[in-house]
Amino acid sequence: MKFLPTIGIECHVQLATKTKLFSEVDNDARGKEPNACVSPVCFALPGMLPRLNGEAVRLAILAGRAMNCEINPVSRFDRKHYFYPDSPKGYQITQFYQPIIGEGYVLLSNGTRIRVEHAHLEGDAGKLTHFNDYSLVDLNRVDTPLLEIVSQPDIHSARDAHDYAKELWRLMTFAGVSLGDLYNGNMRFDVNISLAPEGSSELGTRAEIKNLNSFRSVFRAVEYEIKRQTKILEAGEKVVQETRGWSDAEGKTLAQRSKEEAKDYRYMPEPDLPPLRLSAEFIAEESAKLPLMPADYREKFKDVISNDILEVLLDYKELMEKLDEIDNKYIKPISNLFSSVLLAEEKSAEYLSSLPSAKDLMKLAEMNASKELSSTATKEVFLRLFDPQMKGRGTEQIAKELGLIQENDLGALEAIVDVVLKKPETQKAQADFKAGEEKVIGFLVGQVMKESKGKANPSAVQEILRKKLV
Amino acid sequence: MDIKREDILHLADLSNFSLSEAEVETLSKDLSEIVKYISQLDELDVEGVEPTYQVFEMENVWREDIVLEQDASREELLSLSREVVDNQIKVPRVL
Repeated sequence: MKFLPTIGIECHVQLATKTKLFSEVDNDARGKEPNACVSPVCFALPGMLPRLNGEAVRLAILAGRAMNCEINPVSRFDRKHYFYPDSPKGYQITQFYQPIIGEGYVLLSNGTRIRVEHAHLEGDAGKLTHFNDYSLVDLNRVDTPLLEIVSQPDIHSARDAHDYAKELWRLMTFAGVSLGDLYNGNMRFDVNISLAPEGSSELGTRAEIKNLNSFRSVFRAVEYEIKRQTKILEAGEKVVQETRGWSDAEGKTLAQRSKEEAKDYRYMPEPDLPPLRLSAEFIAEESAKLPLMPADYREKFKDVISNDILEVLLDYKELMEKLDEIDNKYIKPISNLFSSVLLAEEKSAEYLSSLPSAKDLMKLAEMNASKELSSTATKEVFLRLFDPQMKGRGTEQIAKELGLIQENDLGALEAIVDVVLKKPETQKAQADFKAGEEKVIGFLVGQVMKESKGKANPSAVQEILRKKLV
Repeated sequence: MDIKREDILHLADLSNFSLSEAEVETLSKDLSEIVKYISQLDELDVEGVEPTYQVFEMENVWREDIVLEQDASREELLSLSREVVDNQIKVPRVL
């Protein structure tokens, strides 16, 4: 029997606000000591009231529009109760009943449409570090604004699960909603997956894999779960509904200790935060701030950049913004330079943090098109455009300093060819060529290149040689 | 509605309370009374009435995204914990 996987993904996105969701304390704890970014609200001191960050509301609207979602005019907050040392409040402030973001969809590059059920705002929890007989609590992450995005179970393969996660990351970073630093947990994925016999109208029992923090682990965890559940079903056994963790080192999902009884979060309206009622004007005004999204770039560049290359380049928002400034005729050669020269290098991230100006890039493409720069020289100058020592000098100056500008002046080239043809060491080759030995032309071109100190345009040289050696 | 012994134990568990036998007994009785009292509201016909989530009729109360000095420093906040190790709060091991 063949089993079809059905997958839904919940994604937690940390929003790039300056302050936390419920108090005016620094939200950027990178490189800071534990408990450096805390307030009485984070510590849940008695009587402390949450103070909503308006920027989180604005970013949620942008995120919603990036996912083609309805923005709900009315939304509000609830308390979700549970006891754990990572949450001093004893509850999480979230939006359970009336989330800010309604239905929408994410379009994958292969055309698959994954529907978004809703997305809501909530506060993150703190971080626990476990030791032998105690645990340590760092509350820096408490109340970092999160947007939890809940997909419909529209995903049916590990590849699509991976692509959906990655596309969400692109949408959130392009929209400027999140820093998108996966290594530091800016986006975390929970994957629900079940298997059912092909053609069955009922879904199977699902397992939830919690806290995946890379696209690759989403892919591998889904792949592993499909195999694990298939094996269970084929043996005629039943999949247990449970929460599982992913071990990257072992490459497998592992059952986590699950609570015996169903969770009871005792949701109740958050009495300290009045509801949000967003006017159509406000929503329109904020939505208008959405910059170009991956789908816009795909539409814009579909006839100029090949699909494969475009999908690679779309991982780099700044690069796409730069390409958008480039004249249409130069987009193809410039995007090729980025994909073949830069992204092949280990240094790409470092390089991409400071891109050359559109003017320098276009000048480079122009010099290549007019054969002033050979393709090798073009690549060399391209890399120098990122060099902090050289980048201020401009394309032409750099090419000159490196002595890379090709001699295209036919008169000048002819003079060089004549010098070479008079040299005693080329006489035999000339005779051989005239006698029909075609391949010695390479030797002669090489001699001319040497004479020109590498600046001659080899194809022009060959053309001149052929005319002279009849 | 009768609040059973198991309900009290469940609620105590959710709230991280440990209760003595006597307390379980008293609480079941008290809570049953409270729920009974509140249940009078069930007699009202609320068909078509919007639920009330808060009574101040405020909306869109939010602030600008600017870092401000807080009323208590990290040191003051941490000093409220029983034990601090490397600027972190030490708690019994949880998993």
